[in-house]
Amino acid sequence: MAAVGCLKAALQVAEVLETIVSNCVGPEGRQVLCTKPTGEVLLSRDGGRLLEALHLEHPIARMVVACVSSHLKNSGDGAKTFIILLSHLLRGLDAATDKEKDSLVSENIQTHGRHWKNCCQWKFISQALLTFQEQVLDYFMDQCLSRHFLSVFSSSTQEKTLCRSSTELLLEAYFCGRVGRNNHKFISLLMCDYLFKCVAYNSRIEEVFELVDDYFAELNVGVIGLPVSDSRIVAGLVLHRDFSVYCPADGDIRVVIVTETIQPLFSSSGTEFVLNSEAQFQASQFWIMERTKTIMKYLQGQNVKLLLSRVKQPDLVIYYAELNGISVVECLSSAEVSLIQRITGLSPFVLPQTCSQHEVSNTALLKFCKPLILKSKRYVHLGLISTCLFIPHCIVLCGPVQGLVEQHEDALHGAFKMLWQLLKDLDLSYMTGADDQSYTSSPLIYKNSRESELLQEIGNDSIQRSYQGTVVKNKDKLVTVRTHLIVYSNLEIPGVELETYVPCSASKLTPADTHQTDDTLKCLSQNKTSIIDDHEPLIESKFTANSTTENTKIEMSYENVQVTKSVGKGNTLPVSCKSLESYCSSSIPAGCVLPVGGNFEILLHYYLLKYAKKCQQSEETIVSMVIANALLGIPKILYKSKKGNYSFPQIYIRTLHALQTNQPVLSTQTGLESVAGKYQLLNSVLQCLAKILTIDLVINIKRQPRKVYDQDSEDEL
Amino acid sequence: MSRLEAKKPSVCESKPLTRERLRTTLSVLKGIVASCYGPSGRLKQLHNGAGGHVCTTSQSSALLRGLSVTHPVLKILTTSMQNHVSCFSDCGLFMAILCCNLIEYVEGIDLAPTTVIELNKQLLSLCTSYLKSEACACRIPVDFSSTQILLCLVRSILTSKPACMLTGKEVDHISALVLRAFLLTIPEKAEDHIILGKSIIVPLKGQRVIDSTVLPGMLIETSEVQLMRTLPIKKSSALKVALFCVSLSGDFSDTGEGTLAVSYGVSLESAVLDQLLNLGRQLVWDHIDLVICQKVIHPSLKQFLSTHHVIAIDRVGVALMEPLSKMTVAVSSLLLCNRNDTAWDELKLTCQTALHVLQLTIKEPFVFLGGGCTETHLAAYVRHKTLNEPGSILKDVGYTQTELHLIAEAFCSALESLAGSLEHDGGEILTDMKYGHFWSVQSHSPPVANWPDLLSRCGCGLHSNQEELSWSFLRSTHHPFVPQNSLPHEAASSANNLTLDCFTAKLSGLQVAVETANLILDLAYVIEDKN
Repeated sequence: MAAVGCLKAALQVAEVLETIVSNCVGPEGRQVLCTKPTGEVLLSRDGGRLLEALHLEHPIARMVVACVSSHLKNSGDGAKTFIILLSHLLRGLDAATDKEKDSLVSENIQTHGRHWKNCCQWKFISQALLTFQEQVLDYFMDQCLSRHFLSVFSSSTQEKTLCRSSTELLLEAYFCGRVGRNNHKFISLLMCDYLFKCVAYNSRIEEVFELVDDYFAELNVGVIGLPVSDSRIVAGLVLHRDFSVYCPADGDIRVVIVTETIQPLFSSSGTEFVLNSEAQFQASQFWIMERTKTIMKYLQGQNVKLLLSRVKQPDLVIYYAELNGISVVECLSSAEVSLIQRITGLSPFVLPQTCSQHEVSNTALLKFCKPLILKSKRYVHLGLISTCLFIPHCIVLCGPVQGLVEQHEDALHGAFKMLWQLLKDLDLSYMTGADDQSYTSSPLIYKNSRESELLQEIGNDSIQRSYQGTVVKNKDKLVTVRTHLIVYSNLEIPGVELETYVPCSASKLTPADTHQTDDTLKCLSQNKTSIIDDHEPLIESKFTANSTTENTKIEMSYENVQVTKSVGKGNTLPVSCKSLESYCSSSIPAGCVLPVGGNFEILLHYYLLKYAKKCQQSEETIVSMVIANALLGIPKILYKSKKGNYSFPQIYIRTLHALQTNQPVLSTQTGLESVAGKYQLLNSVLQCLAKILTIDLVINIKRQPRKVYDQDSEDEL
Repeated sequence: MSRLEAKKPSVCESKPLTRERLRTTLSVLKGIVASCYGPSGRLKQLHNGAGGHVCTTSQSSALLRGLSVTHPVLKILTTSMQNHVSCFSDCGLFMAILCCNLIEYVEGIDLAPTTVIELNKQLLSLCTSYLKSEACACRIPVDFSSTQILLCLVRSILTSKPACMLTGKEVDHISALVLRAFLLTIPEKAEDHIILGKSIIVPLKGQRVIDSTVLPGMLIETSEVQLMRTLPIKKSSALKVALFCVSLSGDFSDTGEGTLAVSYGVSLESAVLDQLLNLGRQLVWDHIDLVICQKVIHPSLKQFLSTHHVIAIDRVGVALMEPLSKMTVAVSSLLLCNRNDTAWDELKLTCQTALHVLQLTIKEPFVFLGGGCTETHLAAYVRHKTLNEPGSILKDVGYTQTELHLIAEAFCSALESLAGSLEHDGGEILTDMKYGHFWSVQSHSPPVANWPDLLSRCGCGLHSNQEELSWSFLRSTHHPFVPQNSLPHEAASSANNLTLDCFTAKLSGLQVAVETANLILDLAYVIEDKN
């Protein structure tokens, strides 16, 4: 009838999935071979694919899979970690509630009653989870973890410039989890080469990522039957088809794109052509021929050497093209045409009414145009000259079997998605209590929003007042203030809310001219110094003192990665507006990474434990403890096979020690991973868990619910 | 009415390699491919129970085409082999046997799969860099000034396919023909990049193999009537040819998307025919002697041309159009005869392989020593390297020397066992301790005191027992030795009757075999969709 205890059922399901994915996760993970009903075989280490291939029947399992796939849609990575984290969380909750049950529930309560009681309890926990996910997690990201973040951008320039060596480390770690051990180094190097070959300037890389993501299928060619090590990058664009006519040409090669047939037809759609005599028919045919000939001659006169056609051209066009030394490629897909247009800025050629000696405006220059033979199949290879930031290059992916080539294709595409996500700022928002007394103030989860609104209504005046007070108090603490300003430059400015909400720390004292639209925000995160300069007058007027706002952002070199130390944001300033709680907006800046190997998890675990000790409410404590412990599950699996100094307990103790003594946390692993990805993953898992916990009963329906007029459907209930 | 059916859950099998089911099927497959390998390989007869075509073969491409494999892991192996063959035509069995061997030999070793894979990869790169290097003692540069090596290469390919049923004399004849056919596809005017022409194999079934021949140019099949009509033309100078790829049947297509209204009494057919005849007149005016059309020529036009002594050949098809339009480059026709259909099919496939191999050899002008010598030599080299310079192999990966030795032993055994697959008649296989070449002793030879007398030449034919050599059994434990470079290249290229293998195909086969084996060893689960 029903599954007793949804938590137990979910735990069972999650544990089964966990055993499968834990064999594929991390650098030691192995491949899975999936067969399709059609008989094709596919190799995969992609958790999402794997879960889908299983075609699970259990309702909770299906729900979990749905959650995973919606997470993947957003971030493109982390399906396996999702499952592992989820099962650890469920296990933790199970253990925690078991303990409580023993102490709380008296013996004589009926089992059924206990079940419902449990459900109520889970509902609370579920709510606590959501509250945690919505309000507390962001706080930790912003206030605690951010000081450990590294960046993939080079520290030498102001602009966001991808650092080659960090990118290599990032990609290597990514491919470690995505492709077989045999090939991950090779593939990650290939990807890195490709990336840096395609990017014209190192700035505005997002554009390039977007383009590559959109046209990924057009930008790679799969060749089956060759060893993987034969894969390579070719300059220019490779079209997945052969020339209809190929005329070798050197030097100045001009290209036009046509979207219709060049040869005029007897009648166009919706018209009628009346033939009255044989002579008329022959004359019309002759005219058509002459007209085609003229157009092709005209193109030749304009130095056009290549004709790219969206449609199939009649034989006559092909014939004249060959006569005039024009190569022709027909039947391009719309994606290929639009890719070429994006790269070269070329618009389709419009057939001229009269073929005068005017220049054809819609032509582009090519560096070369030649056939490319890969495993006895011929492709068109074009040396497009780019007018955008993307310098066209194609990846030739070789592999002994189709399944492997597909896996590598997927992994490369995923890597682009991941990098693209990494280059975006991720907004964080959380409630913070302006508990002014102590530096280690724990944020209170704000439970009564009404109260806050009320406070805000009356807030404006008091802000001013309290603010003034702050200034006075702070006059002799200028050093601290300066730090805040610098830190501030690292943040995204909390948007419009700041005008109404009460800023509680110095870093949130936003000058009026900067709470503006997204544009300013972007500019902010791109160019740090200039924004800091903007503040200068304001600071001077308010503080009438030291306003040296040189970029004192502390930079520390960690091997070749930049360490951005954002110290004690907002915490040190004793603002005198007591009992004011406010809404903070911040962000994980673009390009933030952490070393792989469970660094993120151990860090968050550490801060959560610290936090849990201070929590007053039992649910909060439970939730924080459970999450903190579940997080350790991931590094435990990653270090499963390691021994001695590199075993998990050793790493764990070393990291905690470093954190307690405020030393830099050193990682034994060289790879890097995106912080935003990890953060999103944790969010999704918590949401999924909360969803699972709110279900109290799973009812199996034998058949589809029938429509209302079916009388006999009732009796089975 | 359509019905939505719930999908059946998939079957998930963990650690597929440890399952009995896979082990048995893998050994069956290995049995099949290994027994086909080499000149004395056993033939397989493929037929379906319901009658129909029977195929007798020992070639990987024909074998795999008829064989349906159900186990997903085996499917990886067989598709990998088919893909290799479609790229290189040759060395399919080599690749498949090596892959099976590699999987089989690491089975007993108690090491993590990741270690095995990583070390296999290191050993592979050791092998490929050796085989590509100048120091490699098992490859010979091809001397294009003589046909000796190319002829040996073709002959080795022909002898390794026993299902062609050729006698020694016939092998010599066909090898010469194949080489001639290939040489005719090389254009006379050499520019900076050569575009090779085509060689077309024309079937002449039921005749003696010795009757096979090669003609420059190409043959187009025509009816006897047409032939009779065209024969009288005798011309001393070259014929002028007009080649049409469009239809000359007077059909009228593609009038656009609108409608075409034809008034009463107007005959488009006659209008079109008029045009066709105009074309005919033009052709005659231009002194065209031969009109070839890919599609159909209108009978009236044909008639017209014929009365003007112009030969008209139509419906040649798209397959012949490409070589026809390349007529100016170089085309040759190989008229191939064999006794029966199945033997002819096998011979045709073999000749295609040989032609492809020759093309590959032009691109990379090297050949490997065949007859198992490359494999045993390579194994000796790997053994020697891993024992004496393990540091250079292990420099990037954090594994111990013991682990390396275990995997290297499995790797070398896989190579040697592959070479051993050449022997099907129960003979003994030996290797010499100087060059690391392959030697075999026939099984039913009389017992003699000095048994090296039984060894005449090594597998590739480069060395004879005249030299002061010492031998050891291939399957016994060896003392690693430094395999020495063979004879100087001049001597090698002048040596007659060498058994040689295609360089490109074998090198790629080696890489693909190791990569595929690694792929299979890396499998943690097999998820089978049962829908």
